Amino acid sequence: MPDQANEFMKDYQAFAQQSWETWMRYLQQQSGQPSNPFAAGFGMGAAAMPQDDLLTRSLASLKTYGNWLQQAAGAGLGQTTNPWQQPAAMQSFLAAFNQPFTQTVAGIDSASAFGLDHQWQTWLQAMQQAGMAGGMPNQMAAFGITREMQLDQQALATAMQNYAQINARYQGLLQKVNAEGIARLQQLLSQHGEPGKQVESLKALYDLWVDAMEEAYAEMALSQEFREVFGALVNAQMQVRKLQQQQTEQMCRELGIPTRSEVDSLGKRVQQLRRELKEAQARGQGETAADDSLVDTLQAEIATLKRELAASKTTAKVRPIESKAGNGNGKTVTPSQRTKATRSAAGKRK
Amino acid sequence: MLNPLPIDPQQAFNEIATFQRKLAAGLQTLRGLGEQDYANTPREAIYREDKLTVWHMKGNHKPTAKVPTLIVYALVNTVWMTDLQEDRSLVRNLLEQGEDVYLIDWGYPDGADRWLTLDDYLNGYLDRAIDAICKRHDLDAINLLGICQGGTFSLCYTAMHPEKVKNLVTMVTPVDFRTSDNMLSHWVQNMDVDLFVDTLGNIPAELMNWVYLMLKPLRLNQQKYVSMVDILDNPAELKNFLRMERWIFDSPDQAGEAFREFIKEFFQQNKLIKGDLQIGKQPVDLGMITQPVFNIYATQDHLVPPDASRALQKHVGTTDYTELAFKGGHIGIYVSGRAQREVAPAIHQWLRQRGA
Repeated sequence: MPDQANEFMKDYQAFAQQSWETWMRYLQQQSGQPSNPFAAGFGMGAAAMPQDDLLTRSLASLKTYGNWLQQAAGAGLGQTTNPWQQPAAMQSFLAAFNQPFTQTVAGIDSASAFGLDHQWQTWLQAMQQAGMAGGMPNQMAAFGITREMQLDQQALATAMQNYAQINARYQGLLQKVNAEGIARLQQLLSQHGEPGKQVESLKALYDLWVDAMEEAYAEMALSQEFREVFGALVNAQMQVRKLQQQQTEQMCRELGIPTRSEVDSLGKRVQQLRRELKEAQARGQGETAADDSLVDTLQAEIATLKRELAASKTTAKVRPIESKAGNGNGKTVTPSQRTKATRSAAGKRK
Repeated sequence: MLNPLPIDPQQAFNEIATFQRKLAAGLQTLRGLGEQDYANTPREAIYREDKLTVWHMKGNHKPTAKVPTLIVYALVNTVWMTDLQEDRSLVRNLLEQGEDVYLIDWGYPDGADRWLTLDDYLNGYLDRAIDAICKRHDLDAINLLGICQGGTFSLCYTAMHPEKVKNLVTMVTPVDFRTSDNMLSHWVQNMDVDLFVDTLGNIPAELMNWVYLMLKPLRLNQQKYVSMVDILDNPAELKNFLRMERWIFDSPDQAGEAFREFIKEFFQQNKLIKGDLQIGKQPVDLGMITQPVFNIYATQDHLVPPDASRALQKHVGTTDYTELAFKGGHIGIYVSGRAQREVAPAIHQWLRQRGA
């Protein structure tokens, strides 16, 4: 049996490696560059081609799955004795699942805009090249012509330390998820010891593992502790980025390059002007609409008068013209009142 | 108790070998596929402003509806989820039923849109888009179909401009942003949103995608792709998968100020149901909505939990309130086979019963 297992592992590893290399060759042919948005610098705008992005994400996930299969297969599956009845063997089996969850989460982090670690290293390198990161101890009193710069660097170093501490707490929570997930997997497996309910394929075991991990993760993600740590992590990272931006802007100002703050400030003013313009246009349209309404009223009045005139001509054949005329609304207006209404309407139009 | 894992090495090897073979063969299939199209329903732009476009969707038959319906989508992701492909299209389905469908494409914000507020979006863009449709049809009011955050926007708009909305349909719409199972809401409660927006400006789409992936990290970032290997030998299924992937990652950035307001006022302070929300200079009171309301939610929605949507009934002013529980998730409500059979016909029937 041990020989069989060893042969299996060798075969599997060779097979997996071959397959993975083929995929990577294909991927490199397609894009010729990595899709990490930070790979080309520390900006956020270096988006990858959609197809490249999909393949990179998919393949990274599949590679992690390949590792998972390897660990699961190498963890004592297929033993003739029942590991379930041997706690030590079972623990050894479950220990194989210690890393895949954190590996997956770390994979999402490093490929995303939230992965600060790589960005920080790139930034630090760039600043060192520019002679602006001297490794100033945080607590040293700043003085001299570079005093402000020293203070900026100290603030940034402190912010990065704070971020690192909170990130360690965050990683600790993910480790807890991992441990809780494995406990849940054990619990789930205990429900599969009946005939007909046994887990008979690696894929079925994988799906069970995902269920266990996701359950554990959801519980953690909705906890008060996670909420506090996650919020603190976001805030700490933003603090680092903000201080980085400030230092970068300082450099830009010295070089006469427009800064993000200046562009933002202009954008804010432009947007305010656009709002005021739209409001003024809307008011103008309102006045036009009021004028249109007045014209409609006057036209209706003229039409009524014409009808009345026509009617009076007919009536005149049998009796004299009456001094009053109806306005169509049950009220009567005198000719002088009509003139006044028409004049005031015309005045308003001006 | 039996061994729960009776998997022998040879069997495991065969399984892995099969997986690897499928993976290798998948290369051939992927090579010929390229980028997948979506949003193929014929359409005509009837209004444009900045990056916003209002599209009039064209069906095979003349609409029988008396009142047109405007689909208002969220600012996150794109409206084309409603028209992903010919046989999975809420839009086509509504057109087939005889509805006259318009939709708002908000576009992709950039630095010029950094200072757009919710007031600009709702009392500006949306209001003018609705005016354009009203004018085109010589109507005072139209139907709104709001989706997700777009549903929240539609509720706010209807409360502020009730005279311009005849009937209101909301789909997977958050109303109570502080339900205990709302993971997104939970995560932003301790976030300093001012620092966040002041630092990032517009919120990058990739960051939004990261957040969504982290809601279910293994399922959305790994298990899904493991399952993809099973369909690598099926070009039709693979195209569907790739089309969905394109939509998921084809996300706009979020305009900074609007994002700041939405997180603060809605997620953190839950003002929509507390009744003290104000957008621009206008108060937003859900009690002002007296139009018929059709609220559709998904029972397995991990982004907008059912309770977050169902809260609408308690707060809306209308006496004509209908609810539909769809058995599925936040995305399945548009693209699943069940959705094609159930959702659009239900909307159509509900509108017809109200003379629209």
